[in-house]
Amino acid sequence: MKSDAFSEYNPIINFAFFIGAIGLGMFFTHPAFAACSVFFSALYLYTIKGRESLKFIGGMGIMFIVLSLINGLFNSMGETVLFVYFGRNYTLEALLYGMCTSAMLISVFLWFASYNSIMSNDKFMFIFGRIIPSGSLIISMALRLVTIYKNKIIQIHTARKCIGKGAADENDRISALKNGSTVISTLATWALEGGVITADSMRMRGYGLPGRTTFSNYRFGMRDKALLGGMVLLSAVIIFCAAMGASSAEFIPVINITSGGIYFYAGLISYILFLSIAPIINITEAVRWRILRSRI
Amino acid sequence: MAHFEIKNLSFSYPGNDRKILDNINLTIEKGSYITLCGKSGCGKTTLLKHLKSVITPHGNREGTVYFDGRPIEESDLRTQSSKIGYVMQNPDNQIVTDKVWHELAFGLESLGYDQKTIRLRVAEMASYFGIQQWFHKNVTELSGGQKQLLNLASIMAMQPEVLILDEPTSQLDPIAASDFLNTVRKINLELGTTVIITEHRLEDVYYCADRVIVMDKGRIIADDTPRNVGDTLKNTNDDMFAALPSPVQIYYGVGSDLLTPLTVREGRNWLSEEFEGKNITHDEIITGEKMKEDFDVAVTMKEVWFRYEKDAPDILKGVTLSVERGKVFAIVGGNGTGKSTTVKSLCGIVKPYRGKILINGKYIEKYKQNELFTNNLAMLPQDPQSLFVKKTVYEDLEEMLPKGLSEDEKKEKITEVANITQITDLLDTHPYDLSGGEQQRAALGKVLLTNPKILILDEPTKGIDNFFKLKFAEIIEELKKSGVTIIMVSHDVEFCAKHADTVSMFFDGSVVTTNTPNAFFSQNSFYTTAANRMSRHLFKNAVTNEDVIELCRKNR
Repeated sequence: MKSDAFSEYNPIINFAFFIGAIGLGMFFTHPAFAACSVFFSALYLYTIKGRESLKFIGGMGIMFIVLSLINGLFNSMGETVLFVYFGRNYTLEALLYGMCTSAMLISVFLWFASYNSIMSNDKFMFIFGRIIPSGSLIISMALRLVTIYKNKIIQIHTARKCIGKGAADENDRISALKNGSTVISTLATWALEGGVITADSMRMRGYGLPGRTTFSNYRFGMRDKALLGGMVLLSAVIIFCAAMGASSAEFIPVINITSGGIYFYAGLISYILFLSIAPIINITEAVRWRILRSRI
Repeated sequence: MAHFEIKNLSFSYPGNDRKILDNINLTIEKGSYITLCGKSGCGKTTLLKHLKSVITPHGNREGTVYFDGRPIEESDLRTQSSKIGYVMQNPDNQIVTDKVWHELAFGLESLGYDQKTIRLRVAEMASYFGIQQWFHKNVTELSGGQKQLLNLASIMAMQPEVLILDEPTSQLDPIAASDFLNTVRKINLELGTTVIITEHRLEDVYYCADRVIVMDKGRIIADDTPRNVGDTLKNTNDDMFAALPSPVQIYYGVGSDLLTPLTVREGRNWLSEEFEGKNITHDEIITGEKMKEDFDVAVTMKEVWFRYEKDAPDILKGVTLSVERGKVFAIVGGNGTGKSTTVKSLCGIVKPYRGKILINGKYIEKYKQNELFTNNLAMLPQDPQSLFVKKTVYEDLEEMLPKGLSEDEKKEKITEVANITQITDLLDTHPYDLSGGEQQRAALGKVLLTNPKILILDEPTKGIDNFFKLKFAEIIEELKKSGVTIIMVSHDVEFCAKHADTVSMFFDGSVVTTNTPNAFFSQNSFYTTAANRMSRHLFKNAVTNEDVIELCRKNR
């Protein structure tokens, strides 16, 4: 199953979701909360990339086991001793603590993996272009130049090689360096020349007039507004409940984990709802398409 | 109503008395299509830049330019940006941003339109110009033709009243160029936008112009309808005559009382009318050229296969060709058929995975580093600018000479090569200040200092005007006489027909046919010269303008 309906929402929604998921995930070491984060982050990655993601998720699983076990080796505090090795105690508390922190860690990794495939350059520019418009234009221009300069270097190099002016011996560092510096200085002249034209082209199209606006391809439609409202509401509830101790978890020296009460349930359910937004949107979309297709 | 009115305009650069523009008087009507032509350096570009004061160069100026009845300096940046659109020559450097959609919106952003308006305008432009398919692409992925179309579209998005184009297609191949110019024509016809265009290749902009203006040395020497401009040029025996479209040149070459033909279609009808009821006794040019079976071979390629990556598609699919020593061998064909890759493989830049290449009878792999390029083989790249690395042409040429020569010896060699390539006056100039044709010759000078026996030219006529083309052709003839083998890749059908000894057509990674230019072009019905297309219903094998003129005269 591969579907990416969520990424088609406004980039602000995408970005807000990842901020929420990663930001909250970094603070929750409560086993229930951490487990939710791991489950949904893995599910989401699977909905985007399909089978391809299983390798990465599997790798994360191994990392989880290793990190969980290691914590116990270095941290011998805790009451319940499971076994003794080299004269040190391996305790249940340390093991549990390791499990929770490494769950937290791998869930953050998993969220970032999804982030990378969802948040393209375009989207990033869109979000930050609203904060610093001229900065985003500079980045956009620079991104174009990188490719152009790269191609030009190859072109100059080839042109020189074909008149016997390539590096005399490519294994000789000094001659290669000399040749390289000629190519770069030629590139610089060429780039300056091109820059003048680009500057003309910008001025001819009114760059520098007051009141410049920033255009983007993305709409902020009804569904985006509704979703953003929901996300804000849910995260407010989660943060409030967490502040009231819903997600408090102590492992050392004694295990003391909140496991009941109105705040705990409200917080956990809100957290589940929040994290499920992206994967649920993807899954519903995939199911809808399957149904539509089967009708044809 | 006049859109632009130019009164007694003269211009010269500071510290230089030479007048780039000399007392120009011109009125441009609203909605007209004006073709401006003239040799490189005649002041075309400077004149165009005076029509948009934002980019007018600094210098000594007399006279006034009126836009919509008011001096142009009085209209502010906002008015000028939106009302006067300007497309320049280089497709790459005009583009500002990295995405197609962003580029389309750039001007509108500057003008401060809101999201909704920009969205609509961008959508309109993308639909009108057929950009939807590549709307989300990076600009660096586009072809030259697409880039220039994008430049045009992003100017048109601001809904200008005038469109000024300064040699917009000089960097494009003929097919992309025609596409582009047809779009410009469509804009003029459908939107009534005033068009002022300069071009080297007049075929696509001559017939549709309301007026053709010819400039020379900063003056207007002819300003008339396309049908009449030829008269003036013919009478004054001007260099620009050679740049006119083939039908016009042939018409004046033959001499006739009928109406001047401007297109191939009109040319055909004109010839038919001219010879109506007459018996055509001579319908063939006797060339005496024939493909030889065996000859002294300079370059051989046998079953050469190449691809860039293991899983990529083949670019060369069994290229087999042999080039005779001391002849001009032309490779023609569409874009992406493997022409450039073939010459790259001759230079050892790309390495085929199968097949043999012999340069002067020796396998290319056997040549040691740079041995191939000393006194043996050299290539003039498509963009001659990439060869210039110094501050003056002289220093650039000097770079090519072996170390240990005395100053006098150096000077002698440089003067010699400067004479051949006709750049003696340009030696102290910065290479970037030269015009396209001059750069081409200066770069050729550099290449010739390697003393090549085999010279490879990649698109040598790209971006240079007809006058410089003739000069370049002279140089090629000279080199040929001194025994140099020339292999050239070109889109320029007319140039190949006139100056090549053998023509090979590339398609889909291999050679489809090889023949003498006369036989080659008279066989083809699409991929051939305008002169041939115009006369094929009467003459068997007239390929160049001169051929048609000769046969017409014989049949009189």
